[in-house]
Amino acid sequence: MEIHIRGLKKYYYSEGRTIKALDDVNLTIPANKIFTLLGPSGCGKTTLLRSIVGLETPDEGEIKIGDTVVWSSEKNIYVPTEKRGLGMVFQTYAIWPHMNVFNNVAYPLQNQGMPKAEIEERVRETLRFVQLEGFEKRPATKLSGGQQQRVALARALVAQPKVILFDEPLSNLDAKLREETRKELRSFLTELEITAVYVTHDRIEALALSDTIGVMRSGKIVEIGAPKKIYFNAEHQFVADFIGRSNLIPAKVKQQKDSFTVVQTSLGEFVCKERDYPLDSDLTLCIRPEFIDLAEEGALDQKNTLSGVMETMVFVGDVYESEIRVGDVLFMAKVDPETTLEVGDPVTFSVKPEHCLLVSE
Amino acid sequence: MVKNRQSKLTYLLIVILALLTLSPVVMLVIGSFSKGLNTFGDFTLAKYISVYTDPSFYAVLGNTLIFVLFSALFSTILALFLAYLNNRTNIPGKFMFKVISVVPMMIPHVLFAVSWALLLNPSNGILNLLLMNIFRLENAPFNIYSIRGMIMVEGLLDLPIAYLIIAPAMASFDISLEESSRVFGAGNMKTLFRITLPVLRPAILAAFILCVVRCLASFAVPSVLGMPGRTYVLATYIYRTVTTGFIADYGKAAAVGMSILILSISLIYVYRYMTRSSEKYVTVSSRGFKPVVIELKKARIPLFVILLIFSFILIMLPILVLLYTSFVPYSMVPSVKAFTSMNLDHWKNVLNDPVSLSSLKNSLFLCIVGASLGTLLSIFISYVIVKVKNKASGILESLSFLSFSFPGIVIGIGFMWFFVRTPLYATIWALLIGYIATYLPYGIRPMTSAFIQIHSHLEESSTVCGASFLTTIRRIVIPLLIPGIVSGWILMATMFFRELSLSVVLSRPGTETMAVQILKFSNDGLWGRLSALGIIMIGISVLLVITANLVGNHFKPETN
Repeated sequence: MEIHIRGLKKYYYSEGRTIKALDDVNLTIPANKIFTLLGPSGCGKTTLLRSIVGLETPDEGEIKIGDTVVWSSEKNIYVPTEKRGLGMVFQTYAIWPHMNVFNNVAYPLQNQGMPKAEIEERVRETLRFVQLEGFEKRPATKLSGGQQQRVALARALVAQPKVILFDEPLSNLDAKLREETRKELRSFLTELEITAVYVTHDRIEALALSDTIGVMRSGKIVEIGAPKKIYFNAEHQFVADFIGRSNLIPAKVKQQKDSFTVVQTSLGEFVCKERDYPLDSDLTLCIRPEFIDLAEEGALDQKNTLSGVMETMVFVGDVYESEIRVGDVLFMAKVDPETTLEVGDPVTFSVKPEHCLLVSE
Repeated sequence: MVKNRQSKLTYLLIVILALLTLSPVVMLVIGSFSKGLNTFGDFTLAKYISVYTDPSFYAVLGNTLIFVLFSALFSTILALFLAYLNNRTNIPGKFMFKVISVVPMMIPHVLFAVSWALLLNPSNGILNLLLMNIFRLENAPFNIYSIRGMIMVEGLLDLPIAYLIIAPAMASFDISLEESSRVFGAGNMKTLFRITLPVLRPAILAAFILCVVRCLASFAVPSVLGMPGRTYVLATYIYRTVTTGFIADYGKAAAVGMSILILSISLIYVYRYMTRSSEKYVTVSSRGFKPVVIELKKARIPLFVILLIFSFILIMLPILVLLYTSFVPYSMVPSVKAFTSMNLDHWKNVLNDPVSLSSLKNSLFLCIVGASLGTLLSIFISYVIVKVKNKASGILESLSFLSFSFPGIVIGIGFMWFFVRTPLYATIWALLIGYIATYLPYGIRPMTSAFIQIHSHLEESSTVCGASFLTTIRRIVIPLLIPGIVSGWILMATMFFRELSLSVVLSRPGTETMAVQILKFSNDGLWGRLSALGIIMIGISVLLVITANLVGNHFKPETN
């Protein structure tokens, strides 16, 4: 089911200041895909999720799930949370501690008044799906973090909702388990063909899990796109910087040539991936550390070549995380761990034009 | 060497604590099988037979059950309601909840009960007279001298205890447990009954059980409000056994006391089990957890008014009634006539009454010396419980917890059997020892939590920084302990100052305490003098708490 959000606003007032948690959000969440709301804490992503599920009341706007308007300030519609028929996995899992696994998972069905035999069948099926077969009688408090997470997922899926919402469900797991669960979750959700809305502040989680990412900042959706588009081809400095580490250099558009855009920076001219901005536009040149190509000295006839001095090198296993000084700019660069370079050595490097990304404010 | 000294200290403390807590129990048991105070140890079953074959005893038992269960239920439900309002709604004036949970401790129970008798007694209760005037009634509409009246007053008195247990549980409740219930199709009511209340069940039951134990031990309310209407509960039944009749029958009293004591001890251990198992309901709490507040909308102001009325009833009303009564010559409805005839006669009478003055002296002595000794003992015991942590310290903890369940009047009977055999009988020291033995857990609890706060790393890092042992104690341990010491001292001091149920058994002419003197005034119907003395008592109680707080603040570790 598609979710349509129109003109959604939610303001908080605290200590005489207005905080715009949702600042005129317009968004269509595609059906049967995994949509992720990504942003730093306080950007409004959780408020948006909670407005969809009905735990938060916006000030203005409209929310439509499928063909049903569940909230509208104009039409004065509010469908209470319990009538929206959604599934949700909470950040704390919210597993009820006084019930066993069976009753936790059966709860949504019991509220629908489903016959007992059918409930049992459905719960068993769902628990098998999340690989918790045989855990029915286990008290909720006797579960590990990962198991609690699966119970929460089973409970969200059991009533076969058309939409399922996730509020940072992996943030309480340790790193290794988080990686595994992420993979599993993606395969569960693609198998089910269900509309999933996922909230996270973890960029790797968003990239690995989503079909579409919506990046939020200060109550606004800044950019929407597939993970690769967001990573390689962001249009805004905030998005480019948030999704991965980048070298950011102020740049001015000089000319459009041969399907490249040429800009002027304090380090000279750069030939960049084409972007349709008028001449003299003030932009930012964004270069990811992994796209800095170190070259043998003198063997360079490529564009965008720079020379500098290796200033720091930190060995982190798969690469050296290093910094190269060029003039008054420090370039972050990822260097082959088997390099013979040392701190203080002169370095020449180049960046391919398709890796020089121009972004606006 | 340190270990050796520690274990010596532990065994010394066990001996002291065993003497304090076990001796009255042992004496009570032996006493209940003895023929009389002077024939201690002459075995007989006569006392048990005479008590448990007496049909009137079963009427008393019935009264006790009704009184205890309904009072505890009343307090628990009220506490639940107030805790919910405080933690989960946007009701204004939240500081009131703190007031409700702390201030009533400064008002002695006997005075609270008396103030209700002054308001609602059937012959000349102020409120009754007022209602009769307004509605031209023939009879008083309310009779506080009834089991219903007792339940109401006792329920209000135990409200803070229940609140202090339920409110923290309510505050730490993970709101997403309720939200998820709503997402999965349950409405507000269903969520309340299927999620909220069941998750809070351990705290609710713990509060209820503690209230039951307190009501079982309660003496002030049943004596002031029950005895005039001849409604006896076990506590007052024991009191009657030892105070009326030709000779006081301490054997029979001990035999009755045994059943309260056994019940009380078992309940306290159930309580302990419950509060321990309540830990299993601790859930992962989220980062940036923001408690969702229920918008009260139209109900906001009415609920606030109810809250105001509650605090008024709990705190202001008793004080106002006593103040008023202390100035008017006899019980009358507030009117121009009443206010013009006000005078200081009752105050003069009290201040010239040698017994009242000596009771004031006794109470102050017991409160200040007793609380200080009790706190000192608590420091050592808590130190061993928290820091030494061996098998013996486990025994110490259980022993110190035992007296938590001691109903004052029963333990008083036990001590009576003990002291009568010693030169301490009928001295103030008998009361002092009894107080410390009965109320020690109230000193130990804040001290243990203070000690737990002092992680051994704090002491160790001080040593690493070059401080000597004494410097570490002076600059690290003591400052961190001060809040615990102060709150333990205040708790004990206020309890000692208002102590009644143990005192009525142990005090003799010359060693009356203020609460005993007030009860005597109440029995004699001398309401004016009672009120004057009561106001003095409340005043001193408040002064004590304020002073102790100031002293505590003075020594507090530096904070901004």
